[in-house]
Amino acid sequence: MMSAGDPVERSGDAEVRVVLDRVCKSFAPAGGGDRVSALQDASLSVGSGKFLALLGPSGCGKTTLLRLVDGLIQPDSGTVHVFGAPPRPGPDIGFVFQSFRLIPWAKVTRNVDFSLRDLGLTAAEREERTRRVIKMVGLTRFANAYPATLSGGMKQRVALARALAPEPKVLLMDEPFASIDAQTRELMQIELMRIWTRRRPAVLFVTHSVDEAIILADEIALMGPSPGKVIETVPVDLERPRWTYDARAEPRYVELRKHLSSRMRQFVLSDPASEFFGRDLVQPDGMGS
Amino acid sequence: MALFKRELAMLRDVLQSCGSSAVRTAFALRNLCKPPDSLMIAFYRIGFFALLMALWQVAATRMGTNVLPSPLATWRAAQTLVGEGQLIVAIGDSLTVYLSGFAIAIIVGVPLGVVMGGFRVLGKTLEVYVFALAATPRVAFIPLIIVLLGLGVEAKTFIVFLGALMPILINAYAGVLAADEELLEMARSVGTPRGRIFTSIVLPGAVPFVIVGLRIGATIGLINTVVAELYTAVRGLGGLLAIYGNTFRMAEYFVVVLTLATVGVIVTESLRYIEARVSRWRDV
Repeated sequence: MMSAGDPVERSGDAEVRVVLDRVCKSFAPAGGGDRVSALQDASLSVGSGKFLALLGPSGCGKTTLLRLVDGLIQPDSGTVHVFGAPPRPGPDIGFVFQSFRLIPWAKVTRNVDFSLRDLGLTAAEREERTRRVIKMVGLTRFANAYPATLSGGMKQRVALARALAPEPKVLLMDEPFASIDAQTRELMQIELMRIWTRRRPAVLFVTHSVDEAIILADEIALMGPSPGKVIETVPVDLERPRWTYDARAEPRYVELRKHLSSRMRQFVLSDPASEFFGRDLVQPDGMGS
Repeated sequence: MALFKRELAMLRDVLQSCGSSAVRTAFALRNLCKPPDSLMIAFYRIGFFALLMALWQVAATRMGTNVLPSPLATWRAAQTLVGEGQLIVAIGDSLTVYLSGFAIAIIVGVPLGVVMGGFRVLGKTLEVYVFALAATPRVAFIPLIIVLLGLGVEAKTFIVFLGALMPILINAYAGVLAADEELLEMARSVGTPRGRIFTSIVLPGAVPFVIVGLRIGATIGLINTVVAELYTAVRGLGGLLAIYGNTFRMAEYFVVVLTLATVGVIVTESLRYIEARVSRWRDV
């Protein structure tokens, strides 16, 4: 039904920023016992300036995949390439975490500046850049506030500003809006789209929300659990900018949503590790795949 | 109600001295209970002071002033002791021992704890011995210290140092180990070099633990000051305590006890003030 691009085939493309080829990663459980496979033969690629959503139920290795792309952990087998080489954490790759991870004793300015400290910039350049990204995320008024005084949405803006300050060409986002209330989340999505349109980094955006994936992404990589792998990639051919019209009312949107939701449900019901495993849960009309 | 925050702070101290895992819980406890109004608290405190004085007076008349001097008699004794100069000299002696022992404990304990936390192998190797030493009653070492250092200021200072060192060291160590894993990963993902991660994430995160260690160390250091003055050459406030206690001069004896309490309060309150200053970001 949907076109599933073959990532390996396209990895010769000069425009491709991030390539994963048959990546496996497993972890030893803290309590001992057999290693748990988090990712098995996961392959995907992200082109320059493209927005890819990694969609999947919890426990399908989405976060592991991002950490591999950032170079925070190494794959057991397979290759991870960013700009044609194994990635190393640094200014070229930005990371926005679900839990914000702001330094509590540093004010907003210092939190944002934290990602600029080791780039060899002058103090004036750092100050200028910090000021600019803080303005971009709309927090100029709160530049001298401590994180504890900010709301969840504002904290995530600070984290986003920190990730954007070094002007990364790849931006990794790990369920960045999952702990933000629904109203704020919608506005943050628009905000992110605006910023992305201006800066155009390649984005890997992890989410378990089908709607969020469709609204934001150029392409959705659907991931399945036990062990985690990329099942299919689905292009989102909805016109941009999507905040200027009601994309949710488009027939194409509804179609995508149906397909992705039913696949997600299948994964959960057929995953032995899931609490819903083997449950006979009624599917809404027309939701069968 | 007025004392509630203080009780809570004491409870927190107890929890924190139990171990690092309790620290977060205890901080959460503090945040649950903001003081209502500082003026009201001051008022309640004065009221409670008056109540204490009244109880003291009643107890003194019931038990007889030979056993328990009245507040007024104690006040007169204080005037005499200050006027004749013994008290000032004793405070000077005690503070010299106390503050130098405490200062050396900080200078040794904080860096040692930080290094133990920074190099896990070293920390794991040494921690057993540190915990064993911390669990041994330090009074047990006094005869040995006397043999080695004599009865003078050096021996006294060393006894204070030994008492204050352990909580300071253990808390600094726990503070470094308690570094926020999520912040560490964030710093690594930004490309921060290891040394900078240590100085900008790990060390600032350990500061609240270090200050708790200093406060516990200050209390134990004061106890050990008195113990040292009782066991070695009888001098200072501990010395006066022994002299007046043994000769049943209870009014003078009470003056010394109250002086010690005052010194303790001043030191721990100063540390509490520093803690509040350093962790301003927490409460805003």
